[in-house]
Amino acid sequence: MSGAGLTRERTLLLFPALLLLALVVAVPILRVVQLGFHRVELDGGIALHWAGLEPYARLWQDGRWWGALRNTAVFTGASVALELVLGVAVALLLHERFRGRGLARALVMVPWALPTAIMALAWAWIFNDAFGVLNDLLGRLGLVRGPVAWLGSPGTAMLALVVADVWKTTPFVALIVLAGLQGIPEPVLEAARVDGLSAAQRFRRVLLPLLGPSLLVAVAFRAVQAYGAFDLPYVMTGGGPGGATETVSLYAYRNYFRYLDFGYGSAVAVQGALLAALLAAALMGLAGRRGRVRA
Amino acid sequence: MSMGQGRRRRWCGLACGVLLALLPACAPRPSGLEPPRLAVMLPPGERPFWEPIARAFERRHRGLVVDLVEGPQSTDLRENLYAASLLARDPTFDLVYMDVTWTAKFAAAGWLLPLEDRFAAEELARFLPEARAAGEYGGRLYRVPVRTDVGLLYHRRDLLERAGLAAPATFADLERNARALQSPPETWGFLWQGRQYEGLVCAFFEVLHGHGGFWVDPATLVVGLDRPEAEAALGFLVRCLRAQPISPPGTTTYQEEESRRLFQDGRAVFLRNWPYVWRLAQAEDSPVRGRLSAGPMPHVLGARPAATLGGWGLGVSAYGRQPALAVEFIRAATSLESQRALCAPTGYAPAREDAYADPALMAANPFLAELRRLHAHAVPRPALARYALASDILQRHLSAALAGTDAPGRALGRAARETRAMLGSDVTAGAGMDR
Repeated sequence: MSGAGLTRERTLLLFPALLLLALVVAVPILRVVQLGFHRVELDGGIALHWAGLEPYARLWQDGRWWGALRNTAVFTGASVALELVLGVAVALLLHERFRGRGLARALVMVPWALPTAIMALAWAWIFNDAFGVLNDLLGRLGLVRGPVAWLGSPGTAMLALVVADVWKTTPFVALIVLAGLQGIPEPVLEAARVDGLSAAQRFRRVLLPLLGPSLLVAVAFRAVQAYGAFDLPYVMTGGGPGGATETVSLYAYRNYFRYLDFGYGSAVAVQGALLAALLAAALMGLAGRRGRVRA
Repeated sequence: MSMGQGRRRRWCGLACGVLLALLPACAPRPSGLEPPRLAVMLPPGERPFWEPIARAFERRHRGLVVDLVEGPQSTDLRENLYAASLLARDPTFDLVYMDVTWTAKFAAAGWLLPLEDRFAAEELARFLPEARAAGEYGGRLYRVPVRTDVGLLYHRRDLLERAGLAAPATFADLERNARALQSPPETWGFLWQGRQYEGLVCAFFEVLHGHGGFWVDPATLVVGLDRPEAEAALGFLVRCLRAQPISPPGTTTYQEEESRRLFQDGRAVFLRNWPYVWRLAQAEDSPVRGRLSAGPMPHVLGARPAATLGGWGLGVSAYGRQPALAVEFIRAATSLESQRALCAPTGYAPAREDAYADPALMAANPFLAELRRLHAHAVPRPALARYALASDILQRHLSAALAGTDAPGRALGRAARETRAMLGSDVTAGAGMDR
């Protein structure tokens, strides 16, 4: 009896926290889902009209939505893949014992700690054709003739975004992988060494499989975050040129604030979030299966 | 017994916690005893010049506080802050200091009070007609102009004179002179704003009208983007960047400031920009000081030059607590005296007609005479409630053509189709409301 009382009490004590969560998370999400079924008219006021699935039907015929989805996918795939490779490399380096390792570990985290909008502005100037550092360096090395407008054509603009994102978030991947490395017992590696595995073999056969869970966590976090990229393209390219760097988040935001189209903007946001959830679920499912296989 | 007591104590704790959490909701609301307050959000750079206007108004209205809120530098961000506040029907801002392109959207959203009955006809007649008309939507006045902007072409007078050339009247002149005087990549012929943003639309709009074309007729909603004039106009901008270019490759990434810096460093012959450049380029430390002239954008034979109309004005929030005082503030802020306070130190173009005959203002900024003449060519961008969407459609396809991923004709065809679809849905929506 006292046990049941305690449970009820526990539920009651959880109630304020649950209420807060419901108010700040669940209510806005439900509101966005509900708005997604509406058509918005601007006529002496903002009028919402029930439109059912019409906004979602519009999505399928909207070239700009497909473009945004493609841009987001390219950005997510390219930046997460590069961050993973570089992140593992950096983590392996930082895992070694050397003088000033503590300082190096702290310094590596600096890009991650910078506000994205500010570092995006700095990168935009780095990629600037006339005043940019990159063109100056490449010009001195004789690698380019005349200034290149990196943010001025679709391919290089996307490349510039990926470079900036990789610079900023590689430390995050490195941090997670470093934590994973520290969790690998030294005797395991010692045994591999004794068995005569080369460094490359040790990395492929021993370290990588043991790092699997942390790598999947890093990928899942980074993929979902890169999928929601907003500040980087907003500041560096404004979604241009020719809409080649407009992401799903940027498109949703523009529907809300620039066009005051809360219905369609919500449909974009909900559809985008569903796809992100699918992505995360797939990655997590992969992580779960791998975990079970090993167990 | 002890358990019952413990439980009661826990219940008390829970109740206290809930009450504490609810406490802020019961905080005393601002009462009538607080001094009345008028608030407006301004760009950070303008605030110091609004101070004397605000303080003078406070002196005439005892006990009133005029709160000049410093907003972010970016126009888009300030628009968003206003939009977020007005969406929430929040009374924070009594006045909205707005760009020309916000008028239709804010008015259609019902966020602004109509003002035509609050001002006498002769008061409104004092403003430049183009600037006043840019504050109207659906036949009502929502915004009173404070300062105005027109797009124009800056020239390097010294280079033109040395070569014995006149300022370009036609696009062919511009291309020829630019090619004759440039030596890229050190010096370029013609700078303009080609990044995918509103500034690209402004630059294209001038070239489009200079070719005798149009974007959207706001009265009939006819779209002119797939007509031959539009293709010729975009063809000109694309030609500036292709084979033997007269504009740097970075043009497709430039906003106003990037192009202004290059021009001010003496690295270009012509620059399309706004009036603010004049004061900066004529400053003590400017390499091109005293070597400039300015005039209208070129045109083709048989068409007239065009200047995209920009500018800032004041509207009254529908959710403010002091609409009558807000109207009074607008009246004071657009007096000749206030125009002097704002425009003499900044070089902004005043919205009042009589300001251009004011000796103090003209002495402070002789360039105003040229700006007054340029207003004869001012063309407003279409006043559509979903202007932002129309602009984004155009920006996107213009940018694709400039980046070379789409041919000018095809890009404009797509832009025209999407714009028609957008306007079509607006029209049917309006018809649906009538039924």
